[in-house]
Amino acid sequence: MSRQILLIVLLGVIFGVFTVSILELEELYNSFGKEYFLEYGAQQTGSNNLVTAILLDYRLFDSLFEAGILLIAVSGVIWISKHDIEEKNAKFMIDKYKTPDLFVTFSRLVYPLMLTFGFYVVINGHLSPGGGFQGGTIVATAILILYYIDADKETNIGLIVTVEKVVYLLVILVASLSIFTRGTFFTNFFELGASADQKAIYLVLLNVLIGIKVALGLWTIFTAFLKEGR
Amino acid sequence: MDDIYGIFKGGTLMNPILTFLVVLIGFYGLSSSDNIIKSVFSVTIIESGVILLFLNLGNFEGGAIPILSEGVTSIVDPLPQALMITTIVIGSTVTALSLMLCIKVFHHYGSVEWKEVLSREDVKS
Repeated sequence: MSRQILLIVLLGVIFGVFTVSILELEELYNSFGKEYFLEYGAQQTGSNNLVTAILLDYRLFDSLFEAGILLIAVSGVIWISKHDIEEKNAKFMIDKYKTPDLFVTFSRLVYPLMLTFGFYVVINGHLSPGGGFQGGTIVATAILILYYIDADKETNIGLIVTVEKVVYLLVILVASLSIFTRGTFFTNFFELGASADQKAIYLVLLNVLIGIKVALGLWTIFTAFLKEGR
Repeated sequence: MDDIYGIFKGGTLMNPILTFLVVLIGFYGLSSSDNIIKSVFSVTIIESGVILLFLNLGNFEGGAIPILSEGVTSIVDPLPQALMITTIVIGSTVTALSLMLCIKVFHHYGSVEWKEVLSREDVKS
């Protein structure tokens, strides 16, 4: 009991320090960046969605390592979930005789819709809310529904991870292409004066690659968890 | 000039303080939970609080979403939103990795309670 009281007192101290520290936030935070993005963002990057403009152009270096962290986490999950015992003991958790028929039928109806919506969110990422990371997650969820439709489905995790690594290398390659046209790394490979439609080619290409990468990564994580259900 | 500093939203500090309370709830859960899985979800709660805090930063009343179209003149700050995508992706991967470790701990020690796992002889050495 005394430990809990001490804990609450310590949390109160942290809270007080936070409250005092945000009083100076007025000096730290300003809106100059926002005004810059509003004025030049669409013109410089060709993206109406300013979040995509920041993710894929201004701060592309961040996004590359963000995708890299996903790859590292997938490798870690696979490495931890490796079994010492025989692999044939590892059975999928989903029992097809316990899955209700209604759920299976409904999954068959919903699956193509989810896949289409995921691709829409990926490809339209520079015009509407969405992008590679969000759309890739929707595509991954659509793929996961397949396990309810066909529980005996066999997946080759090694192949998926290899494809994911190749796609990640492609992302870095596409991001580095600007060294030949603009002279700097990690930005759009079209000239600054190109039209918005030309710049959109780069944005859609990178969004699609990141979407494929995220979808494959989440698929791998899910299969690793399914195999643990012993 | 007033609406630029959206964090103060009409002179109050209410929003950042409330979001920081979510972070504190996560801290409390992290230090008082007996179950390893509950600790993992406390980290998720802390992450949600941080996301709310950052999204509040450039937000103000009447601001449009940062997607340019006809007639949009005042938008919320797009930079915190772009940073928070990173946080969400990293948070989900960290959660997946720690849950996988939880499964391994359960298979090896037969329990996911902190006390039972820590009282084992082979853990102490």
